[in-house]
Amino acid sequence: MSALDFVKVSKSFGEVQALVDFSISLEQGELVSLLGPSGCGKTTALRIAAGFEIADSGSIHLESTNIIGLPANERKMGMVFQSYSLFPHLNIRDNVAFGLKVRGVRNEERKKRAGEMLDLVRLSDLGHRMPHQISGGQQQRVALARALATQPHVLLLDEPLSALDAKIRVEVRDEIRRLNRDLGVTTVFVTHDQDEAMSISDRICVMNNGKIEQIGSPRDVYNAPATPFVAHFVGSINSLPVGDTRVLIRPENLELVNPDASAQWCGTITDITFVGAFTKISVLLDDQKITMSVLTISAQFEHHLSIGANVGIVERKS
Amino acid sequence: MATMKFIGKIWPRLYIAIAIVFFVAPLLSMARFAFQRIPVISLGRENLFKRWTIDGLLTTLRDPEFSHSLSVSLKVAFFTVIVLLFLMVPTTLWVHLSAPRWRGVVETVTILPYVVPPIALVVGVSGTYRSIAPWFLASNYSLVPFYAILAMPFTFRSLDVGIKALDLRTLVDAAKSLGASSSRVMWNVLLPNLRTSLINAAFLTITVVLGEFTIASLLLKRTLPMYMAQAQGREPQGALGLGLFILVLTTILFTLVSIIRKKDSKSIDVKNINVGMVP
Repeated sequence: MSALDFVKVSKSFGEVQALVDFSISLEQGELVSLLGPSGCGKTTALRIAAGFEIADSGSIHLESTNIIGLPANERKMGMVFQSYSLFPHLNIRDNVAFGLKVRGVRNEERKKRAGEMLDLVRLSDLGHRMPHQISGGQQQRVALARALATQPHVLLLDEPLSALDAKIRVEVRDEIRRLNRDLGVTTVFVTHDQDEAMSISDRICVMNNGKIEQIGSPRDVYNAPATPFVAHFVGSINSLPVGDTRVLIRPENLELVNPDASAQWCGTITDITFVGAFTKISVLLDDQKITMSVLTISAQFEHHLSIGANVGIVERKS
Repeated sequence: MATMKFIGKIWPRLYIAIAIVFFVAPLLSMARFAFQRIPVISLGRENLFKRWTIDGLLTTLRDPEFSHSLSVSLKVAFFTVIVLLFLMVPTTLWVHLSAPRWRGVVETVTILPYVVPPIALVVGVSGTYRSIAPWFLASNYSLVPFYAILAMPFTFRSLDVGIKALDLRTLVDAAKSLGASSSRVMWNVLLPNLRTSLINAAFLTITVVLGEFTIASLLLKRTLPMYMAQAQGREPQGALGLGLFILVLTTILFTLVSIIRKKDSKSIDVKNINVGMVP
């Protein structure tokens, strides 16, 4: 039995079709990312699941019960938002206990559970503080604790890392993955950041213009993109001429060689960018005037690299 | 150059000194007239510290007419606050949450009291009521709808600024996703976060009611401003003393509001709740 099922869900805002026949099933405990550019419908799908938007057609099943007509407060889902959504007038402990309070859980029990949830996100020392007295990363962890305190059947995360800086983003991302694994809560994670989606998900649902382009594991989506959109949106890719057609090849699958007869493509280096773990090289192909990027492979070859140098490129044999 | 620097330095202080004299001198003169038992003609510098007394004020405060008019004004103020908040809180929240396109219309409606003079309001409305519900105009509470209209611009702006400082949509969605019903969202999330705006709106409404004269006079109601206007003829020193007394009370009230506001802005991170001028 699926934990959460979207069945042919569609939604329009005026002339704009935000979601078209959106269907996906999530298994119990699975973390699925909805990945796509702005306006692709991923947040609309999440908000329909949460009960904040009404679908034009289709249904959503939570453990086989159709919840499409249920109001948001009866859906047994926890949600974390992009902006820090903690209640400004309540301290951290009361924020976490809010969902329990509205469910009528007794004061003692509430305090105990809020304390446990704060332990879970390793913020038990901050229970007495007000939201503005803690950092953005801590606020999102509290928001996670608050969403999980009511033991939701599904956790909905709407770009929860977007407002955080790079280092904190990785910390909170790992926290989300850990909580998903430890608690086994089914999670929908909306993001426009492919690195985030790749690193956190069991499966990724790539979306564009309100439609699903591909659903698969991060490895499948990266190595076997179903459409040119997925290939270009997830990771970098080069479109290279082979005879009358073009092939799509990831930069790490290309190798620099001497510009002789063994090279599949020849060109001139136009830019060299050191990115740390690898170096990105842009090459202008002789006959096609196309800029592409490759990764340096051999340390010996790297010494000869300079802007303006002629190089040959071959596809790596795996 | 040194002279220019000196003038540049002294000018702001001089400006403040002139402003203080402009505002404080009449109040001090008023205080001397109200609280010194000396004939006006002898109010010179030589008598500055002689025969100060609050007898005039006490006499006025003991006047049953005064307590009656104060009670009428306070009751009317109380109900005006209730009516206004009851009308404007849901309206302002609705405009922000569900109908942002209507914001302009609501804003225009709320500034109507600036455009329609009180006399036109009274003549129009009282004419209607006189024919369909004459008993309503006989009651002191007939002032409530008029005062609610007069105080509407302050209430709307106060609430509007408070709501703008919150991420209202996300807070409502967050509360609902945690299982809160609409009424629970209102009572447990929205109203506590709008506390400062609500207090501001209430105090400004009370100020409008305690200072309004035209409508009360046209409808022949014995409110505090009406009493003060009449007492000025009978007991001018006591009436002016009362005026000063009310001024001090109002200042204390507004100082309290600004203290609460500062405390709240620290805990709620609400920036710049400013409701404009005090009538």
